Amino acid sequence: MASTGTPTSSSPWGSLQIPRPIQQLFNRFPLVTYNANNLPARTQALTSSNLPTLHVFSTDEDALEGLPSFNPTCLKWQTLLRLTKTPHRILPSTNHASPTGALPFLLPPQSTSSSTKPIPASLLSAYATKHGAIPLPSSSSATKEETYLSLLTPIRNAFLYALYLDPKYSSLLDRLYIHPSSSSTLVRKTLRYQLRSAAAASILQSRSLHPDSGREQIDGEAVFAEAQEALEALAGVLNEREGWFFGNERPGEFDAAVFGYAHLILSFMDEEKGLGRVLREVGEGAIVGHWKRVKIEAGWDI
Amino acid sequence: MALRLYVWGPAFNLPSIDAESIAAIAYLSQTTSQADYKLIQSSPSAVPTHQLPSLYDPSTSTWSSGYLQILRYLSLHPPPSFHDPSASSPSTTANLHFLLSHCPPLIALSLYVSSTNWSSSTRPAYSRILPLPLPWTEPSSVRAAMTRRAEHLGMSSLDTDAEEEKRQAEEKASNAAGWISVPPALRRTPRDAMVPEFARRIKLEQLARDVLDVVKDMELRENSGLRCLAFGFLSLMMVDEVPRKWLAETVRGVEEYKGLVGFAEGFRREVFEGQEVDLSRDEAAESALGLTVRFLEAVVCEVPWVGGEWRRRAAVRRKRKMLEGRGVKVREEGEEDGLVLAGAGVAALAVGVGIFFYRRLPPFGASVQVWNAPSLTFGSLGAAGAMLGGVFGVVDGAY
Repeated sequence: MASTGTPTSSSPWGSLQIPRPIQQLFNRFPLVTYNANNLPARTQALTSSNLPTLHVFSTDEDALEGLPSFNPTCLKWQTLLRLTKTPHRILPSTNHASPTGALPFLLPPQSTSSSTKPIPASLLSAYATKHGAIPLPSSSSATKEETYLSLLTPIRNAFLYALYLDPKYSSLLDRLYIHPSSSSTLVRKTLRYQLRSAAAASILQSRSLHPDSGREQIDGEAVFAEAQEALEALAGVLNEREGWFFGNERPGEFDAAVFGYAHLILSFMDEEKGLGRVLREVGEGAIVGHWKRVKIEAGWDI
Repeated sequence: MALRLYVWGPAFNLPSIDAESIAAIAYLSQTTSQADYKLIQSSPSAVPTHQLPSLYDPSTSTWSSGYLQILRYLSLHPPPSFHDPSASSPSTTANLHFLLSHCPPLIALSLYVSSTNWSSSTRPAYSRILPLPLPWTEPSSVRAAMTRRAEHLGMSSLDTDAEEEKRQAEEKASNAAGWISVPPALRRTPRDAMVPEFARRIKLEQLARDVLDVVKDMELRENSGLRCLAFGFLSLMMVDEVPRKWLAETVRGVEEYKGLVGFAEGFRREVFEGQEVDLSRDEAAESALGLTVRFLEAVVCEVPWVGGEWRRRAAVRRKRKMLEGRGVKVREEGEEDGLVLAGAGVAALAVGVGIFFYRRLPPFGASVQVWNAPSLTFGSLGAAGAMLGGVFGVVDGAY
């Protein structure tokens, strides 16, 4: 039995007398007590929808119209929800809002009696299967899909390298991720530094290097060449059979994942060189064709 | 001039302790004649890319690190005798990437994360292939890197050393907080008595099966680059000179993987049997000076606060040297340097202010107030004193 009696020795501060002037000073506080602030007007709209809310990286205007997110992972799940015609709406958010620490996550409507626990990205596929109008294609080649899924790692690395570490796209990085967060120069500078080191660490780790070695340790050419090979392989698969990946009759999770990168690379990276050019050229534009088909299927006619 | 392939040294009866190194050795031995390349036993700190295997081509002064890059370099700049008839297809690329991203975590769990296997097999193996004093620095950094690769599988309990430390810290904290604890003898559950590898056996086997189920369906015959890489990983998975052989038992014990075991054994007979892999040593990097520099650099990188910055700067230096070797002009850049300098400036200022305050404090234990008896001068002796002072010519402040 644990005894939790009164403390035997009284605190040394107990016997200490507070000097008069200090006591008088503290007695004057609080000078004024303000009324509690009202909640911002938009919280009403944010919390009282009867649609499930997908929190993604986006801007306020884009989210209202349900336009594509500017983050590849968010875009993948957003596309999947649209492809399966799962009812949802989009809300711009940040990683800090997410229970898992990463976007996207889905918040079921608060009005229903069912569980209102947030759904992390890893369970979104099951959610879409349960609530979507169109089922996901039943994959006949699960091992094949799993194998090809590892081709997205080099593409992801090259995308991270281009967006975060290539000075050419630093204005884009600022516009998408840094300027919406803060207007203070110092905060922005710190944030940029943190984002860049996190991106470099992520690439380094996938190559078994020490995550603190910094950008210069990464061989940019090699990262880029690997992404090019991966894109060529993906284009090759698409050219084997016209339509969706692995001969499915409907686009599925893999198509959404490829679209997530393809859409961002096509909309933000120019066609002269780098990732933008490779993506447009591989397999006689096979990936661009796939991108167009997914866009129509997902109902984005931008 | 001959190509130079820098690889990890041999262990576990294999040509190298690292899967990608084994694969690179096998690939070169199958596609290129012995005269065109030289194998050099090395460690990451001896090559400028800090990554093994590394291929150096003296004719173009180019370093290529990692198995995929080596394959790419060889196909773009083939040595005279190079001959690889196998064709590449989308599935080959996908399979290569699958192996490279899913097999290292398994090997990490088996040979590196597990404390028992690490301390009784892997670490001694590294100590045998590294010259002193490098076994003090390099194996632990390899282990840290491999552990990071297996992090997402959530199997840290295999690292019993770290677990034990955590448990002791928790116990200490709860004792300090005054909780009455159950005597250790009563606390041991059957689960505690089990070795973590046994307690986690089902989960571990499932992790291995998830990967091996994909590998067994691969068309390993069609591409020699893929074949060599698969052999590199499988041969390390089948290492059974370790105390906890869950991975080897999974590969060998399951009926469906008979084909993989057969492939790995056949490949080994075909490529490595009967001929010693001829590894030479890197003379320059293993001189007394080279070893000292490599050792000190590794030590500095582990110093808290300073280490990370040092590591980054060393990477910049190495890259510059590498590019200058190829005749590329390197431009300077300093945006992040500004931030680092500002940080260092603020830190230096804080330290300076701290020292200033510290110096102004009285010595520890000195009395705060001091009364000195007034000194006896002629001035305090009244008129007679003044007269005497005048006589002795003393300038007295009392006047």
